[in-house]
Amino acid sequence: MGHYQIELTKAMELLASNDKVIFIGQSVEVAGTLMRTTLENINPKKLIEMPVDEDFQMGVANGFALAGYIPISVFPRWNFLLLATNQIVNHLDKLKEISRLGVPPKVIIRTSIGSVKPLHPGPQHTGDFTDAFKLMCKNINIVRLDSHEQIVPQYRLALERDDGVCTLLVEWGDKYAE
Amino acid sequence: MDLKWTSKSLRNFESEISEIFNSGKIKAPVHLSDGNENELINIFKDISSSDWVLCSWRSHYQALLKGVPAEQVKSEIISGRSISLCFPEYRFFSSAIVGGHVSISIGIALHEKKKNTKNHVWCFLGDMTSETGVAQTSIRYAETHDLPITFVIEDNGLSVLTETRSVWASSTLRYEEIKSSKVVSFKYKSKYPHAGAGVRVQF
Repeated sequence: MGHYQIELTKAMELLASNDKVIFIGQSVEVAGTLMRTTLENINPKKLIEMPVDEDFQMGVANGFALAGYIPISVFPRWNFLLLATNQIVNHLDKLKEISRLGVPPKVIIRTSIGSVKPLHPGPQHTGDFTDAFKLMCKNINIVRLDSHEQIVPQYRLALERDDGVCTLLVEWGDKYAE
Repeated sequence: MDLKWTSKSLRNFESEISEIFNSGKIKAPVHLSDGNENELINIFKDISSSDWVLCSWRSHYQALLKGVPAEQVKSEIISGRSISLCFPEYRFFSSAIVGGHVSISIGIALHEKKKNTKNHVWCFLGDMTSETGVAQTSIRYAETHDLPITFVIEDNGLSVLTETRSVWASSTLRYEEIKSSKVVSFKYKSKYPHAGAGVRVQF
């Protein structure tokens, strides 16, 4: 296991130590993705496997957040997360303005730039839309995790901040082996 | 629910809003209700203050019936926020995006089930929204997971000026074809247009 994967695993354990945190997505409760390997130490009661319907999943995450949880909404690749754009851009990013909550809801989104080694899955699985989403979202802190040293500090910041800003952290699939 | 509201007093509230809108004092869209007062009053008899209510862009009646003070609702409307009224202290949220609130309702219902509370989620949606993928997914998920949620489909047969059954080339909608214990519905006709109060403002 490389530094990048080790730090991601530590970050997930850090998140899971908070009673309000739950993880939702495809392949969070069962095996199937690289991301899942970083969730193997998490209490299964905190893992909610979802049907494959990205915008539905993101809406569910937003609902959990409105009700007081801190959902970690997991999308294995940027290209898949695009299908949740409505709930991220039209809803999560705007909740601070429209909900008038004293403490705005907190959601942490986790996605990845798909790996190209040892197999290259092609253009529909390897997109990076980080810069585009930065332009679309003003209440979501979007960070590409280029170095393993960023991982735990960025997840800690996402968990602990109380300024109403949500977080979208982007991994590199190819860095898991580093 | 707020038991003081009657069909007449609800209609009077919307009538006052329509006059304010037509006078040009509201610089934002409003979506007024009419013709569904009795059905909503009956539904809200089962809604408690700790329940959640989620709505679309047309939600004045629901906010009033949930117990939000009329002056507070009116103030928000005049401020230009009719299209996405939210009163978190009353557990009341809405979205101006078709179907946006529907999957959010599922997240809240999952929360209540995990917490083993007696609180219920009430998700109000129109007939065109009820045909969308997210509504179909949400209703199915609510059924199979037996979530504490009721979808209330308010069917006026229209989305803006588009006839729902016409564009689906079907005389019946899915909620009429597949009965669900999580869905209640009613049909109604409104005297108001989709947006505004009769004085045409295209936006």
